[in-house]
Amino acid sequence: MPFPDVRLASRPLHFFYICDCSGSMQAEGRMPSLNQAIRQSLPGMAEVARQNPEARVLVRAVSFADRAGWHIATPTPVEQVRWTDLQAGGVTAMGEALELVAAELRSPPMEARALPPVLVLISDGQPTDDFDAGLHALMREPWARRAVRLAIAIGHDADTDVLQQFIGEDPGLPAGEVPGASGQMPRHPVGRSPRRPLPASNATTLARYLQWASTAVVGAASTSASRLGGGDDGGGPVPLPDLPPTELDPLEDPDPIKW
Amino acid sequence: MSSLLPTDTALTFEGLAAPLRVGRCLGGGSQGQVFAVELEGEPLALKWYLPAFLARDPGLRTRLEESIRRGAPNEDFLWPLALLHPDDASRARLGAAGRGFGYLMPLRPPACVGAAEHAAGRIAISLRNVLRAAFFLAAGFHDLHSLGFCYKDVSLGNLFLDPASGGIRIGDNDNVDVIGSTGGAVLGTWGFMAPEVALGQARPDVASDLFSLAALQFQLLTRHDPFRGALELAIPCLDLPGRRRLYAEDPVFVFDPRDARNRPDPHEHVAALITWPLYPRSLQRLFEETFGPGLRDPSRRTLTGQWKQALAAVLDHLRLCPHCGEENLELDPAPGGARCWRCRRPLPPAPQLVLANGRVTIAEGNRIEAHHLDPLRAEDLRRPVAEVVAHPSRPGLFGLRHLGGPAWRVERADGRRFDVLPGESCSLGRAALVHTGAGPLRIGDHLLRP
Repeated sequence: MPFPDVRLASRPLHFFYICDCSGSMQAEGRMPSLNQAIRQSLPGMAEVARQNPEARVLVRAVSFADRAGWHIATPTPVEQVRWTDLQAGGVTAMGEALELVAAELRSPPMEARALPPVLVLISDGQPTDDFDAGLHALMREPWARRAVRLAIAIGHDADTDVLQQFIGEDPGLPAGEVPGASGQMPRHPVGRSPRRPLPASNATTLARYLQWASTAVVGAASTSASRLGGGDDGGGPVPLPDLPPTELDPLEDPDPIKW
Repeated sequence: MSSLLPTDTALTFEGLAAPLRVGRCLGGGSQGQVFAVELEGEPLALKWYLPAFLARDPGLRTRLEESIRRGAPNEDFLWPLALLHPDDASRARLGAAGRGFGYLMPLRPPACVGAAEHAAGRIAISLRNVLRAAFFLAAGFHDLHSLGFCYKDVSLGNLFLDPASGGIRIGDNDNVDVIGSTGGAVLGTWGFMAPEVALGQARPDVASDLFSLAALQFQLLTRHDPFRGALELAIPCLDLPGRRRLYAEDPVFVFDPRDARNRPDPHEHVAALITWPLYPRSLQRLFEETFGPGLRDPSRRTLTGQWKQALAAVLDHLRLCPHCGEENLELDPAPGGARCWRCRRPLPPAPQLVLANGRVTIAEGNRIEAHHLDPLRAEDLRRPVAEVVAHPSRPGLFGLRHLGGPAWRVERADGRRFDVLPGESCSLGRAALVHTGAGPLRIGDHLLRP
């Protein structure tokens, strides 16, 4: 005599890792750190998906070096993703990677109805191909414009300007304004906002940002998150959750492996 | 996830006589983390806040202190028991996390699973236990509001249920605030937030709690969202502007009797179409009221007491289809008689016990509660007096099982008397008077035959 065999209606939530695999990612263990950080973030994402029956979280991954290609081409339910290691070597075809994602965000193959996709671009360098063309192709797609676009800048050589172009303008911050300069209490520590490239200067920070993107952001995009007053509701497709603590916060453990 | 507190270690706190043994981290989010802990052999849970979150919610400590001072509304709340501040020795060990604080609360029983498991259809649960959970949820908010508190962030994520009993636990009580207070950081969760809160016209309070409670009751009872119908399908990307339109700017209940714009889609919203007709009009009307006039007029929202009354009454009339064994509720009279919702075959009329306060269908598993015997008692499912049982070998013969308390004195029509002890059952046939601890129960002439 069970309750009727029905379930809450759900929408797909497409999550894309867009990973820089250029030769510089070989330096200082960045590539293994990224592989490890993504692998470690998956159980948390699966748990968030489980707690959000309204969302069917589907994961894909693009890697880019001399060329861009699919690392996980099929939209895969998060609990079934088995991460195989990416290998570094080559230049930085970031524009082509964005074109690949753009083609997948076209309707079809995109479903008629979905939750805002989440795009996470991780890079340690500068694009070597036509980034503008790739970004233009991406932003032509309505699903890309409505996506949560996050970027993680590894090390000091990452091109934060192109990453910011990928994210779009930080709506909470007029061009040229220093965060906190308005006299109001800044929501994030100076220089940090989920709508700006997230600087990962070490493996711990990289892992925390990826964990945050895979859990808190996925939760927000699939609506489970509580809304906080005065929170980041404006502008974006979903209210973005607080960033995790990093070395800029007192909670950060000192990490000996600096990039 | 890195742990805020060292695990598998003993930490000392101000005001605690014994050290607290910190076990594994049970989970965490943007506010902090929850740990399994042990205090003098008693398993408890400890929530520890991130200092960054504490800075954003300056009223938190005062709220928690007030909750601890007044005590839990009832045993279904994973209520704060004590605030914990590390003593000097622990502060030195905790580093930055030692500048924060946390609170102790009861540990969630292992049998209780997140209500999302129910919504996702991943647990087997009976209709009876879903209704019981819905009753306990209403009773929890009834007791919370009676104590002068409001909850503020009702959602599927804060409710846990035991599929085997319908028992519940209500977690995340740290947004609970004194009614009328305007502080607090949280506004609510999309899908549960009252429109006036979502639109920024009001802060969460009792009236918005009543809206959120109805939304959660609807999800429990139907495994569907009350506002996701045709209008949802017209929104390709359910982002923030889409949610605002659906839930706040132009919300239309999927079963609004006066506005058919947002009916469930027969392919996309099957759950609503299958489950809604299981419930009698008395219950459906409560949703129609809250999600109709109650959208804009908070005084029209169903009160916790109304939910309790309606849900308890629905539970009084549960019965199994004699053909397929499915649970059915006594619905309003239909032309041609009632039919089983699953096999569609006719349901024979069932006799009912007429009690001092209400009627109970004579069907296995239905219970006589103290409130059935005493009209002055509020509905309560925690202290049942008797349960309808079938005779183990004689089909069609029903009796009442004594569920606890002093022995019943049973008077038969022929004047003979006998006692029934807890765990024993006596048949419903023959005119009889049962003296229970909760009041007299007349069978015989008070049996309503169909």
